[in-house]
Amino acid sequence: MITHHPSEETMLRLAAGTLQAGLSVVVRAHLEHCPACRAELRKLEAIGGAMLEDLPPEPLDELAFNQVLARLNEPMAPRPPRPARQARKLLPEGTNLPAALKGADIGRWMWVGRGIHHSRVRLPWAPDQNMMMFLVDRGRKVIHHSHGGAEFTQILAGSFVDDTGSYLAGDLAEADETLEHQPVAGPEGCICLAALEAGLRLPWLDRLLRR
Amino acid sequence: MVIQILHLPVLWYVNVHDKSARPASQRAPFSPVSPANSVPLDAGLLAQLVCRVAQERDRTAFATLFKHFAPRVKAYLLKSGLTAAAAEELTQEVMLSLWRKAAQFDPARAGAASWIFAIARNARIDYARRQRNLPPPPEEEELGPSAETAALAAERDQRVGAALKTLSQDQQIILSLSFFSDLPHAAIADRLNLPLGTVKSRIRLGLARLRLLLGEVR
Repeated sequence: MITHHPSEETMLRLAAGTLQAGLSVVVRAHLEHCPACRAELRKLEAIGGAMLEDLPPEPLDELAFNQVLARLNEPMAPRPPRPARQARKLLPEGTNLPAALKGADIGRWMWVGRGIHHSRVRLPWAPDQNMMMFLVDRGRKVIHHSHGGAEFTQILAGSFVDDTGSYLAGDLAEADETLEHQPVAGPEGCICLAALEAGLRLPWLDRLLRR
Repeated sequence: MVIQILHLPVLWYVNVHDKSARPASQRAPFSPVSPANSVPLDAGLLAQLVCRVAQERDRTAFATLFKHFAPRVKAYLLKSGLTAAAAEELTQEVMLSLWRKAAQFDPARAGAASWIFAIARNARIDYARRQRNLPPPPEEEELGPSAETAALAAERDQRVGAALKTLSQDQQIILSLSFFSDLPHAAIADRLNLPLGTVKSRIRLGLARLRLLLGEVR
């Protein structure tokens, strides 16, 4: 049972196409498991469609239609398939990587602290995004931190608890710059996918993660 | 009377069953689009036209869709901050995508306008990416069915359109800025000279009102 969903503003930004690439991937990972949010996205896109209908039309170049007609039979330029570099044995049995991570490079688990592993996620189409996966052993605390902007975390397996509530697999936690929190992994540990709008406010860990 | 006349070419496009794909050169030249002859088409009809493009590769249906959507897509792209030249070029690409992706259109899931809005939105994101010389993302996976009640999507498009018109002017302006500009809410607040809280609450109230009108609860 999913109880934590992306906020209304987040869904609106996703529908409008103005959500950062990294945050979008995390929200899409959530949508894969959440029919309610998929319905919400459809509804927002329907609003976008209705507003598109209402826009005062802008005339096109006189030749536009014929230019498009002339291109209808052009073969579609195939997208060059670029195999993603994804480290193996990343997840325990029964947990799949979200389809939203297709094409993303995912590094090996790196030890970053007692009971905490981290793996860098890089989107080739948006390499400046700050994304990662965390594997936290049961009962382990993630270091106390705050953020320079939004932090979205999708729980892939296990659970965690922080001051704002408890999050289970399928939930999406949205934290913003006003939240300072210290998540603690549940009894089965926790695996999650996270994206940060800006950096973590924690200079030494930041240095470690960016190494 | 005027409206009837304007409707004529549209009805002609829809009723003619022209399955033989004549080359474009043998066809009557397509009249340039102007606001005066882009009549509002019914959402159900638009969906049918996309299906005909998908199933029959029907160029007449495509012409009607082009006439209706291309000027709106261009308006959308201009609003989102593209230059006139870029908006023109990208509009043509969006219309080409309509032709190519028509088979992926599922009238039970999305109305034609929502579907084309999503294509145009993705084209805009893609354009920004290409400007930075970055590789394309993989084709998005089709998300599973959603939890909505099975109202025909075209019908929903129609209802959303009607509901939208009942919003207050303030709510409409802010919703349209959130959809059509890439400004974050804080920048929208700046531009309208309003506190951020007011912008956020107008968006929230606007969406809540739309939900109410559409008889849906989140």
